[in-house]
Amino acid sequence: MLLIQSNAIADALNSSEWVFPIAECFHIAAFAWSIGLIALVDFRLIGIGMKRESASEIARATAPWTLLGLAVVLLSGPVLFLSDTRMYLGNPSFRFKMYALLIAIIFNYTIHRKVALSNSSPAGVQVLVGVVSLLLWVSVVFGGLFIAFA
Amino acid sequence: MIFEFFRWVQSTDFMTYIRESGITYPVIMATHLTCIAVFGGMIVITDLRLLGAALQDRPIADVVNGLRWWKRLGFCIMIAMGIMLAGSKATDYYHNPYFWTKMSLLALVAIHALIFRPGVYNQPEKLDASPVIPTRAKAAGVLSLVLWTAVVCAGRLIGYYEPPQQKGRIVAASK
Repeated sequence: MLLIQSNAIADALNSSEWVFPIAECFHIAAFAWSIGLIALVDFRLIGIGMKRESASEIARATAPWTLLGLAVVLLSGPVLFLSDTRMYLGNPSFRFKMYALLIAIIFNYTIHRKVALSNSSPAGVQVLVGVVSLLLWVSVVFGGLFIAFA
Repeated sequence: MIFEFFRWVQSTDFMTYIRESGITYPVIMATHLTCIAVFGGMIVITDLRLLGAALQDRPIADVVNGLRWWKRLGFCIMIAMGIMLAGSKATDYYHNPYFWTKMSLLALVAIHALIFRPGVYNQPEKLDASPVIPTRAKAAGVLSLVLWTAVVCAGRLIGYYEPPQQKGRIVAASK
């Protein structure tokens, strides 16, 4: 279904050799922006970085900017995907990345958010949540990069 | 002479190993990207704070001092990965205009540091003592965001350059 629908879109996206690279620049700059901001919260949960601020202060301050970055990532990503849906759907790294991304986003806006904002979670829980968050987002980055090598 | 140096770097056993191994090269590249995200986040929060756009009720000094050594660590790992990526394909990179664009932008980042370290990053307490955020701090923040974004984009475009005599080959490899 996706394959049939996307032909016209793919043709439009592939009509200029610059559409894909420019979308990819947006995608990379925005993922660095958003994942980097999430990582600041993770590091604080683990106990490193801006130690004079609480995790909740950092989480609150970065939240709108993280959301902005994720919006650009999630708008530019489909542009890349639609340029060649057949290749992406058949690519094991792409599928891994999508599952990791889904879990990372759900985790970020549920457990991660709750623990970061609470300030009263046990230290062990904070460290665990920070480490899991970092691992999830690193998986997304590695999955994305390996699309080109799989 | 520069080309001779690049060819020597590429021919070392270490760089040859990276180039010829199937998995090491993409792992280094993914680590480079991960560092860009982690280091980038530290840059972004610092710049947003300098602009008064995030953590406004917290001292600039907290952000700058808290992240100083982590930024340096992230930068070193990122650069080390970058040297391996470029070094293992040095003769290709020599002919790649986006590589030189990226190097020029990094030179501008160095100049940015020379200009703004004394008055901004090395004395954030003075910025906090000022009733409004000084213009030099805001200028440092904006220029930093623009420069690093440009570095990231130029870095990605390195992969798209096709040398005239090899049209087709790079595209196939990057897909």
